[in-house]
Amino acid sequence: MSAVDQNRAASRAAAGGLSLAALAPWIAAIVALALLPLVFSDNSAITIMNQMAITIVFALAYNMLLGQGGMLSFGHAVYMGLGGFFSVHLMNWMEDDLVALPLPLLPIFGGLFGLLFAMLIGSFSTRKAGTVFAMISLGVGELIAACSIIVVAFFGGEEGVSGDRTYGVPVFGIEFIRHVEVYYLTAFWLIVAAALMYLFSRTPVGRMANAVRDNPERAEFVGYSARWVRYVSFCASGFFAGIAGALFAVNYEILTEENLNLATSGTILLVTFLGGVGFFYGPVIGAVVFTLLATVLKLQTELWQLYVGALFVATVMFFPGGLAGLIAIHATPWRLGKLGGLAVPYLKTLLPGVIGLLALCAAAELAFHNREAPAGESTMGLFWMEVDTHSPLTWAVVAVVAVGGLWLANRGAPALKAAWDEATTPSDGGRS
Amino acid sequence: MSAPALELRELRKSFGKTEIIRGVNLAIGRSERHAIIGPNGAGKSTLFNLITGRFPRSSGEILLHGQDIEGLAPYEINRRGLSRSFQITNIFPKMTVFENLRCALLWPQGHRYSFWSLVSKDRALNEGAERILEQINLTERRNLPAGVLSYAEQRALEIGITIAGGADVIMLDEPTAGMSHSETEYIVGLIRDVTKGKTLVMVEHDMSVVFGLADRISVLVYGEIIATGAPEEVRASPKVQEAYLGAAMAAEH
Repeated sequence: MSAVDQNRAASRAAAGGLSLAALAPWIAAIVALALLPLVFSDNSAITIMNQMAITIVFALAYNMLLGQGGMLSFGHAVYMGLGGFFSVHLMNWMEDDLVALPLPLLPIFGGLFGLLFAMLIGSFSTRKAGTVFAMISLGVGELIAACSIIVVAFFGGEEGVSGDRTYGVPVFGIEFIRHVEVYYLTAFWLIVAAALMYLFSRTPVGRMANAVRDNPERAEFVGYSARWVRYVSFCASGFFAGIAGALFAVNYEILTEENLNLATSGTILLVTFLGGVGFFYGPVIGAVVFTLLATVLKLQTELWQLYVGALFVATVMFFPGGLAGLIAIHATPWRLGKLGGLAVPYLKTLLPGVIGLLALCAAAELAFHNREAPAGESTMGLFWMEVDTHSPLTWAVVAVVAVGGLWLANRGAPALKAAWDEATTPSDGGRS
Repeated sequence: MSAPALELRELRKSFGKTEIIRGVNLAIGRSERHAIIGPNGAGKSTLFNLITGRFPRSSGEILLHGQDIEGLAPYEINRRGLSRSFQITNIFPKMTVFENLRCALLWPQGHRYSFWSLVSKDRALNEGAERILEQINLTERRNLPAGVLSYAEQRALEIGITIAGGADVIMLDEPTAGMSHSETEYIVGLIRDVTKGKTLVMVEHDMSVVFGLADRISVLVYGEIIATGAPEEVRASPKVQEAYLGAAMAAEH
């Protein structure tokens, strides 16, 4: 009966209050967010971090549908976009002295506007999950994006609507002119929104969202209408997407059709899936990685979307748990104290594998350069080298490195598999 | 207090031109343990699905505590105090065993669609789930995803989810299907415990379970009830012997 007592103690502890272990990641996140601008202080870095924060909020909101509720949406940019458009209008009304509002409160109103539309559209779109929901989300996404050139008064037509964030009621004398001030506003809302979304997943309706995702029929036989559970999740997700939209408005001071369209909706699906839908923190990882790719990598190569696409396909095919899933599967070796045993096999397989893949990327870059560069220009910077794109020698080296690297990786794979099996099995006598 | 817990009047169900349930009349009293037996294809599961709102009926009445439940969705019927298990295990596979039970307790404990309270803070909820966990003997499996449990464990969880909410009419569809002898014995004991003072309606093929547990038995053959009564009466009925029980008993022994 000791296991029973243990469980009782555990649930009593859980019922008693938030434990330090549960709070630790949040405290770490707050400290990190507070210190980051001291490390990366130039404006471009702060812009990237703000973009990351906005994407994290949006991805977490999206995962309330996809991961928690089992609803695949192709049109969730609508709620972020609407929250953003409304926020820009609010900023303009602040400028015209029609409303007096401190800027840090803007995300609440962006969220409420997103919520309003989620309540309207969700009332019919959440009737069914699966394909029906996905198709309706796609249709509504198209519809609202099309509205942006029709309802010019609200969406501003093709050039969108723009505003100025500095007309809010100053908070402690801060007028949000400097980048870093906006950063702290964004970071504050990131923490608040993420914490609220986490807590939502621990509420009765948040738990039932998981249950409806797993088995909507059984949920009905324990007293819950699957449709209502989906509706509540959908509205909550719309609210937080609206907050992300408001943060976007504060940062960029302009919203256009691009914020509503299917490409943006597709991107957030990609971001969320890349990070891992099965874990609360998955979308956070996805948003960070994607934003880095979309900013840093984008500066390096025009082909960045090709690589992101390949990464996405590889994730779907080989790691359906996403990056968070990749981290999570290492929990077992970690608990068994066998993580170290994986280091050498990983090195032997992944290092040549990565080099081989980079060589493939190099081939893509060479081919692209040959096609796109002005006639006569036959040299390009590749990694740290200056290479001749027309020389057979360059191509030969790339081919050898690619084939050799992948061959080595493939040769190391069985050893890695064996090491993995060993690392995930408890050793005899290790535990009674 | 005079109305039966569950009453069926001239209940009929057709799929296309085929009539599967052909005018069933049945009254099950409060605190009665009632078993429905019959050959394969007799319509036992269909009858369950009609009563619990999974399928719409073609005609007739279904009264739960004297009130017709026509047109109510499964969740509304559940809220009126009727809970069921399924012949094919029907659980929340990706959630832990504990979470499965806790979800089954949420509505009965009045949490509704709350997004302003935390499940971890509710002591009655968590202790209730722990208690069911102990009752169905799955404490050791508490934190595993329900989908990885063995078949018998999933069956036990299925029953746990069904009884967790404290419904006063419990319907079990073949609770011991596919279980070994010792597992069956255990589940029967469990069912007896948890349905004390409640109305139990069960479909079951294992005759030892039926005769050991039921106060009354109905025999369903081709969508009609050919006999209802105490186990001994039913066993002795020549009609039942002819239609079903003789063959079933012969197969058992």
